[in-house]
Amino acid sequence: MITQPYITNYLSEHYADDAYRELSGYEARGGFEGLRKAVQMEPADLVELVKSSGLRGRGGAGFSTGLKWSFMPSGNDRPKLFVCNADESEPGSFKDRLIMERGPHQMLEGILIGAWAVGASKTYIYIRGEYKVPTRRVEQAVKELYERGYLGQKILGKKGFDHDIVVHSGAGAYICGEETGLLESLEGKKGQPRKKPPFPAQYGAFGLPTTVNNVETFAHVPFIVARGLDWFLAIGTEKSPGTTLFGVSGQVERPGLFELPLGTPLGEIIDHAGGVRGGRALKGVIPGGMSMPILLPEDLDVRMAEEFLSERGTHLGTGGIMVMDETTCMVRVAAVTSYFFRDESCGQCTQCREGTGWIHKICERVEAGRGSPADLELLDDLPGLMEGQTICAFADAAAWPIQGLLRHFRADFEAHIAAQRCPFPESFEL
Amino acid sequence: MPTLTIDGTEYEVAEGRMILQAIDDLGLLMSGVDIPHYCWHPKLSIDGSCRMCQVEVEGMPKLQIACNTLVTDGMVVRTDVERVKKAQRGVMELLLINHPLDCPICDQAGECTLQDYAFDYGMPGARTEEPRRPAKKAMDLGPTIVFDQERCILCRRCVRFCREIPKTGELGVFARGDHSLLELFPGTELDNPYSMNVADICPVGALTTKDFRFKIRVWFLDDVESICNQCSNGCNIYASRSNNRIYRYLPRRNDSVNDTWICDHGRLSYQLIMENRLTEPRVSRRGTSYADAVRAAGDAVRAARESGGSIVGVASPFVGNEDLFVLKQLLEAVGAPAATFAVPRGESDELLVKTEKAPNASGARALGFEESDASPGAVAVALVLGHTLAEECLKGVETLILLDTENCSLAERADIVLPARSFAEKEGSFTNHAKRVQRFRPILEPTFEALSEGEILQRIGAAAGLTGWTASYDVHEVSKRLSETVAGFDGINLDSLDDQGCELA
Repeated sequence: MITQPYITNYLSEHYADDAYRELSGYEARGGFEGLRKAVQMEPADLVELVKSSGLRGRGGAGFSTGLKWSFMPSGNDRPKLFVCNADESEPGSFKDRLIMERGPHQMLEGILIGAWAVGASKTYIYIRGEYKVPTRRVEQAVKELYERGYLGQKILGKKGFDHDIVVHSGAGAYICGEETGLLESLEGKKGQPRKKPPFPAQYGAFGLPTTVNNVETFAHVPFIVARGLDWFLAIGTEKSPGTTLFGVSGQVERPGLFELPLGTPLGEIIDHAGGVRGGRALKGVIPGGMSMPILLPEDLDVRMAEEFLSERGTHLGTGGIMVMDETTCMVRVAAVTSYFFRDESCGQCTQCREGTGWIHKICERVEAGRGSPADLELLDDLPGLMEGQTICAFADAAAWPIQGLLRHFRADFEAHIAAQRCPFPESFEL
Repeated sequence: MPTLTIDGTEYEVAEGRMILQAIDDLGLLMSGVDIPHYCWHPKLSIDGSCRMCQVEVEGMPKLQIACNTLVTDGMVVRTDVERVKKAQRGVMELLLINHPLDCPICDQAGECTLQDYAFDYGMPGARTEEPRRPAKKAMDLGPTIVFDQERCILCRRCVRFCREIPKTGELGVFARGDHSLLELFPGTELDNPYSMNVADICPVGALTTKDFRFKIRVWFLDDVESICNQCSNGCNIYASRSNNRIYRYLPRRNDSVNDTWICDHGRLSYQLIMENRLTEPRVSRRGTSYADAVRAAGDAVRAARESGGSIVGVASPFVGNEDLFVLKQLLEAVGAPAATFAVPRGESDELLVKTEKAPNASGARALGFEESDASPGAVAVALVLGHTLAEECLKGVETLILLDTENCSLAERADIVLPARSFAEKEGSFTNHAKRVQRFRPILEPTFEALSEGEILQRIGAAAGLTGWTASYDVHEVSKRLSETVAGFDGINLDSLDDQGCELA
């Protein structure tokens, strides 16, 4: 039973309704209208439609979905694959889980529309191993689709529209959410991102042309096709149309997911979550999952879309908003964050492997009251040695939060070093 | 052909190559065009993880790794800008935070890429105070290799080597992040026949061979270009020597022969050079002077000629083309038939090891000698090089003149015994299975009186009073005459051959 009051919009409109996760319930509420419309279209026109919709990937990078689809080679000399990235592991993000639990058919319909558009014959849904319930729900939904002829051969009676879906359970590593790390893991190898080029559209899973999209990205697609461009473009901002499921966590009264148009001001989203807990003052907000640089209370006016957030030196990421009140020790935040990235670095690239470890040791030392001014200089310098220099964006993800924390909360670090102890009450465990 | 400009100099490079490959193709990598690198190796797949080879490419906002950036026509690359130098300093600093500062006791010191790059691209000091990553010392990986896990910089060259070259895949990097460790897969040993190559490609002192470790500091060694003589592949090697002793063989790159590899058996075969050497000239099984033995051999040849007795030659696939050529000339001068030779055979593999367990069987064939292990029958004089022919085949020989390096049982039976120089003590060339003529150079000074087979035969010819034969011998002269007279060798001689050899026409 969902007890949270949801700010409903198209994605989550029926999430409180248990029937919606079943195919019949989904169809009764407009499900698969998008796919029916899609198969009447030429695949190329469909790609063009998604491109014109301006739909941006909801997995963190915000890349144009239609453009990504257009990278897939035309022609049928090699089978083409879709991969649905359901390895949701960015700390502060829990939206894909809800989609898979409450509206798995949205994602699956989006996959089928995309499959028709790019001519993909198979989709692997890579779900993080800890997501037991979402995995069960998706498996159940896939089974229903096979039973009802939405999967398999000649889907919707369309000759040449064959598609299979394989649900794959991950084995637990943050880096398997990186698209090429995911592909390696899917192939049964150690989850380590691949060097690029070649890109997945040329050489993806098992060497075949592959497009990797996030769960939520797929979930938006049926609505765009069913309700049309004008409808979709009227929601959100000009450059970032549509809604997203903002996940609000941390020190707020009512943490949870809130589906709101992109471009909704940050302060308004936090208000939906009941505001800062216990009437305390806000200290900082991470806007899009742990790897995005932190914002300050004066940034509450920022509209939550990539084009506005990048002006403030941060990014929308996954839309996972983490709220920290005045009692939060930002050095402790740095220590916890850097511990996570140290533990999760795949260890291939020198800067990431060694840099994440070093930064963590320094942050822990400062938090424990053994820091020195030289440590601050190192923390200023090290992220710059890592950022933008590695195979994947993990090193950036590890460097940016530290840079953000230092930029905005240098005083916290200096206070630790001056006092040789943490001046804050223990707000959470290390 | 695309042009590539690096730091203002323009190069014509091959199509479809990455920047590092293109520079390596031109033979300029780290000798003219300095793009430092750790994980990249010319004969292994591209890894792209060490990030040391980052360069600035015009038109690309981020630095690019030279190992995985395809050259496009007109590409402009810079390595001499501060951004690149900062990135190199960064990689060096980060590699060193977990690397022990044990160069004084590390075997790699002096030929360590980490050490060299630290000087060339690193910072003079350290900013770390943390203890290093805990790891194991002196792990036994198998019969040939010892692993110092602390020193490993996780470039994974060895991992890729084992997967891609011998295709045995014993090694892997386990765990993640800065707790990543190179280990053997459970239940395996690093015991493939090419295992010791991992020590060569290891840029640091993490992987060392049990054979060489702790024997000598490398700066006391000098490397002589040579050829492995254990099979007909003729792998190119460096022999590292000091004080008239060979301490190791290292593979020497030759893309037409052995790439950058050598098998473990070949690598350790330097140990055989001084084993059981024939050191004493003998006549009638009694020690004598070298000059006496040569004179006795000359007399035997002369007597046979005068009495019309038959003379035969038995060649060896272990001696150089030049030695064989002198034998050929000697036999022709005395009107004897062309020599035969026998080749020991054994196992081969798909990589380097060939069936013929001698370096120069192809050379013997090219010189017109026929392979045969048949007995020459009853003859007056046999000039025998080495001991590849079974002893009983030579029972009918009246005067057996043996030129050999090894104190074999045939030497007990021979009438005249002349100690020969091993290939490590002389100059010459071998012709490998693919008819590539390759030069070997003197590595050691003989510690006893010994001459090359060619020179011994030259002196025997002079002592036998053959027309036009003098005792003076110059292997370069012989090689020149060989190239002028033997078909296929046109223009191929010791003075014309470079370090990569040349295929017979």
